[in-house]
Amino acid sequence: MDFLAFLVTQCLNALSQAALLFFLGCGLTLIFGIMRIVNFAHGAFFMLGAYVGWSAVYVTGSFWGALVAAPILVGGFGAAFEMGILRRLYGRDGHSFLMVTFGLTLMMGEAIRLIWGVAALQVVMPQSLSGIVFILDEPFPIYRLFLAGAGIVVAVVIWQFLERTRLGLLIRATSQNAEMVHALGTDVRLVRSAVFGIGCGLAGIGGVFAAPMVTASLGMAPNAVIDTFVIVIIGGMGSFLGSMIGALLVAFVQVFGSYYFPDFALAFMYLIMLTILVVRPGGLLGKEA
Amino acid sequence: MAGLSRRTILTAAAASPVVLRHARGETPIKIGMPVALTGPAGEIGTQMRHGAEFWAKETNAAGGILGRPIELIIQDTTGDPATCVRKAQDVVERDGCRLLFGMTLSSEALAVVPKLGEWNAIFMSSDNGDGRLTGSSFVPNFFRANISGPMETRVISLWLRQGKLGKFFALGMDYAWGHNSIGVFQDEVKRAGKTFVGDVYSPIGTKDFSTYITKIRQSGADGCFLVLQGDDNAAFLSQARDYRLQDKVQLITSIVDLNSIHAVGDAAIGLAGSTRYVATIDNPKNQAFVAAWQKQYNALPDVFEGEQYQACKMLQAGIEEAKSIDADKLRPALESAKIDSIKGPVAMRACDHQAVQGGYIVKVVKKDGAKFPVPEIVTTFPGDQVTPACRQMTFDS
Repeated sequence: MDFLAFLVTQCLNALSQAALLFFLGCGLTLIFGIMRIVNFAHGAFFMLGAYVGWSAVYVTGSFWGALVAAPILVGGFGAAFEMGILRRLYGRDGHSFLMVTFGLTLMMGEAIRLIWGVAALQVVMPQSLSGIVFILDEPFPIYRLFLAGAGIVVAVVIWQFLERTRLGLLIRATSQNAEMVHALGTDVRLVRSAVFGIGCGLAGIGGVFAAPMVTASLGMAPNAVIDTFVIVIIGGMGSFLGSMIGALLVAFVQVFGSYYFPDFALAFMYLIMLTILVVRPGGLLGKEA
Repeated sequence: MAGLSRRTILTAAAASPVVLRHARGETPIKIGMPVALTGPAGEIGTQMRHGAEFWAKETNAAGGILGRPIELIIQDTTGDPATCVRKAQDVVERDGCRLLFGMTLSSEALAVVPKLGEWNAIFMSSDNGDGRLTGSSFVPNFFRANISGPMETRVISLWLRQGKLGKFFALGMDYAWGHNSIGVFQDEVKRAGKTFVGDVYSPIGTKDFSTYITKIRQSGADGCFLVLQGDDNAAFLSQARDYRLQDKVQLITSIVDLNSIHAVGDAAIGLAGSTRYVATIDNPKNQAFVAAWQKQYNALPDVFEGEQYQACKMLQAGIEEAKSIDADKLRPALESAKIDSIKGPVAMRACDHQAVQGGYIVKVVKKDGAKFPVPEIVTTFPGDQVTPACRQMTFDS
């Protein structure tokens, strides 16, 4: 394998990982931007997405069906949770949100164990994506190219949604000054539910995308939630663009770091986070905390 | 109170229908089973539980042991050694068990065995791999019916000596198990006169294995030894298939089990490794066992289900020989116990309480009509080659 081929394939690997991390990070950051709460259950929604995706493939026989069903169901569950439980806690300090969303993580984990069982489940990728292409004579999985592409598409869609639509405008306005938006006659509570649902739905779709590569398993949630926090802290809490940059940075550092310095694969991610926190305590694009 | 009701439910669930039918005034033989049903080892613990329940049901239907029905008292340890010791103490002191199964993780077993003498209880292990249990940490009331970790690695090294592969790379999870196993493997590769070209360790919970796959390809190895388990194993195998790694490199693993195969489906095809038990073992005992198992669970018995069943049979043989469950009478009976097991003849050894048994190399293949690929036996090595010398963890030759 010559160096150019190595470089190109590693960059593509990193892009595909960045896409996965971005689905997680942008949902978490959207939720934080609007509600000022840290959703500890974000990893659990990611995991739920993978399991719902498995069932959707089982029922519809199609991976594409799973890509539609999982974000809707997971997002719907997230919105319902916000309306039923989180809504009662606004006005309390941040600890209650941490406790409640952490509790939700445990409950979702056990519920998934009861419904789907302890064994990891295989989500079969569609035939059209399971092949390989040769990039500079090196085999590269089509699925990873698809994943990188999907990440870009979703990023553009969310960006356009935030910039161009009325709900997007309300979301941005609410994140800046919720009371003013409320005073102008918008039901801020609905905006919050919608944002929580959208954020969870994004985690859910991330779960479906990840499942063919890592299988749907009970270990997904704790692993995902830590990476996600790192991304959001690097990018800046509440910043959409920040979550994108954070995802790219973490993915590239993980891929190249684990190649050149495999013994420090994990440490690099935290090293970046520390450096950024020291230089810019609010994250790259965040407001000063 | 919550703990009590849960225990009662578990006990009832485990034994009630059969116990009632056979309750002829005989006191049941109570066997305590603190086992990891939840947590990271929950999958293995659940298999162990199935294996024991299957045996208890079968044996009770045949009239029990010494005319006494078997009652399993199953407790969840969550895979935590401290919890395991507490639960074991519970079943011994509160429920009066003098026989123990379970302790899914070796760390749990190592925490429990120092107490066995004080409890006057016999523990028949069905899955603990740590070589120390029949070595430096040996206690007289501990018996191991299963293949240990060193035996597993031994089977692979014997197979390497016969094989055509010449250059090896290794990928392991970055903790004690990965480093130990690869260290042993590296020595075995050198002893077999082959080349070891390098190793790399992935942090626990790694999701993206692309970099490691690149490293394996670049190493030029024709065989890669994997020490991965659970989610990491499934993720690696799925992604290795995506990159067509198996076309160039023979993947070798220390345990081939059905759960991992089911998790990744066709991505497991071609994987070779040792296994402690596999449903395709060709002897009448095993065929009868597999048929009965399929009838009850509608699935093939997996590694730890078969291993647990063998451990149960070993304990049963000891009790029937001793005509007692008293530790002082049972111990000598078990020390000379020989059974015609689902794995063929298996004999307990008096010197370190390790059961001498053959080891298997399997390769995962696609079979027509089967939903998942299945492990097929490639080679069997006899017990005297596989089992280390008494209380040893390493092999001289």
